Amino acid sequence: MTEELKGHILIVDDEEALRTAVRRILELEGYKVDAAQNGTEGIAFGSAHEYDLALIDLKMPDINGLDVLKEIRKKHPNTVCYMATAYASYETAVEATKLGADGYILKPFSPDELLNSLNSGFEKRRWLLEAERLRKEREESLLEVAFERTRLKTIINSITDGVLVINKKGELAYFNQASLTLLDITYLPLGIPIIEHLPVEIGQMIVEKFFDIEKQTIAFSIEVSIKPENQLYIEATLSPISENDKSLAGVVVVLKNITEFKKLELLKSQFVSMVAHELKAPIAASIGFIDIMRQPGISITPEQKIDFLNRSHQRLQSLLFMINDLLDISRMELNKVTREIREVVVEETLSEVVNLFKVDIDKKQLSIGMPEEAGKHVIRIDQNEFMRIITNLVSNGIKYNRDKGSLTLQVKQDAYYTTVVIKDAGIGLKPAEKERLFSEFFRAKNEHTKNIHGTGLGLSIVKRIIEAYSGKITCESTYGEGTQFTLSFPIVYRLE
Amino acid sequence: MSLIAVIDDDQDILEASTLILKARGFEVISANNPDDGYKIIKEQHPDLIILDVIMNEPDDGFFLAQKLRKENVTTPIIMYTSIAKATGLDFSSGGMIPVDEFVEKPISPDELIGKVEKFLKKQVEK
Repeated sequence: MTEELKGHILIVDDEEALRTAVRRILELEGYKVDAAQNGTEGIAFGSAHEYDLALIDLKMPDINGLDVLKEIRKKHPNTVCYMATAYASYETAVEATKLGADGYILKPFSPDELLNSLNSGFEKRRWLLEAERLRKEREESLLEVAFERTRLKTIINSITDGVLVINKKGELAYFNQASLTLLDITYLPLGIPIIEHLPVEIGQMIVEKFFDIEKQTIAFSIEVSIKPENQLYIEATLSPISENDKSLAGVVVVLKNITEFKKLELLKSQFVSMVAHELKAPIAASIGFIDIMRQPGISITPEQKIDFLNRSHQRLQSLLFMINDLLDISRMELNKVTREIREVVVEETLSEVVNLFKVDIDKKQLSIGMPEEAGKHVIRIDQNEFMRIITNLVSNGIKYNRDKGSLTLQVKQDAYYTTVVIKDAGIGLKPAEKERLFSEFFRAKNEHTKNIHGTGLGLSIVKRIIEAYSGKITCESTYGEGTQFTLSFPIVYRLE
Repeated sequence: MSLIAVIDDDQDILEASTLILKARGFEVISANNPDDGYKIIKEQHPDLIILDVIMNEPDDGFFLAQKLRKENVTTPIIMYTSIAKATGLDFSSGGMIPVDEFVEKPISPDELIGKVEKFLKKQVEK
């Protein structure tokens, strides 16, 4: 091995003859040789380049050979340094090795003596390099492990789901920041028996599904309310961590915030019960009337009978309207509405709709204010949907109006919107009623509205349609004075 | 003669129920909102209350039942619902709503009379 390593050698000696002789011997052996003629130069060479081996004269005029060695070692600890000395004694040799020299050569030396010493020097150099390599390798892998751990920790701490690791003794082995938030706890020390600190349902499940069962392989999920009234709801997924023999090493708990989902679920179930209630009411009323007419024990007058039949018919008719409205809402929610969008002249639709209600308007002796026909406004919309919106609002404006009241329709335009205003001088809305105006099944209920029928879905549909065109609808109302609806549609252009 | 209070915001159902009960010989007082219902109950002390959940004004039927119980009115209450099946809620368990029985609308005249007589009989036994 040594023979193959034809290394790079530095000679530091103030005697020129010796330098030349040594250089010649070593170069003949195939080594690469640099020579420095004094200590200063020796330090400069030995620091600038990592030599395999340096042969340093112990006694030089400028700097002591041992100091040269120290300086070289500072920079290159793996350079093997041999001291050459002419007045060798036991003490100097010991001192030199104590101070870090790897060996020494007595001057004068024969070429064989030199080469033998250098061979063992190279041997040492090889071991040094190997040790260095191993050390570096170890450091690198340690660094990598440390880096990997930091990275994983950062990742786990950054995710919004909570992660808890519990060992088989029920102690907390790891947790991330999110788990504290999701469990609504401020602090958790590692190593504590954790089960009792967890929500009861989760703790119980860990014990029952994992600790009490030898080799659990499947995960379990559970939904837990952390703060009441749906303020914080979590889903905990518990998965076993298994040893190689499938025995339980611990449990990893992943916590997910499902509050929003729960809120939606509640909204959905409320909507379903509202729909059920609203659909059943007309059926219950009609069945009630029919039952009375069928029951031999109940005697009713022929007038009552006609009244009950009419009312049953009306309730069932309104049920049909409601079902159609619900289907429309469902289609809108599913984005399954086919719209035939074209330019519609607002003023034309308004007068068309008002004409439809002529009978009702005359019956209530309402005075109608129509927009001027002079400047016509155009919006891009599905004609049927626009008719539906206006019909609904005009119909409301008439139904909820007072006798001899007024209904005013206006069309305006600014830089961004074409605006339709529909204003009645009717019964108006109380502030709490106004708030719920656009929600499904809401209908203002007071002494004035008793005999007004509707599905409670009209305005909800109107709002959905307008919003589908990036428009908006607002309502201003004073109880007892009247209500004004303002519909704004993004502008297209104005007909000249 | 037993006096029955019927409270329902659905005018048609209110009338139908009243007619059925009157045909059977009961005296009936009625109201179409919880506030008026509360008044007639406090003033005339009926033997039985038939109360709708009244969904349009959220919880108003429930609220009235709770209010009456808080004021130590122990008159039996039959509550009309139409939502138990839809929501899968079992109102009878848990005792959240202090009424004696839940009845799913629509209910046939015979059933209604059956329930009413059951409660009035219990009242007499007390």
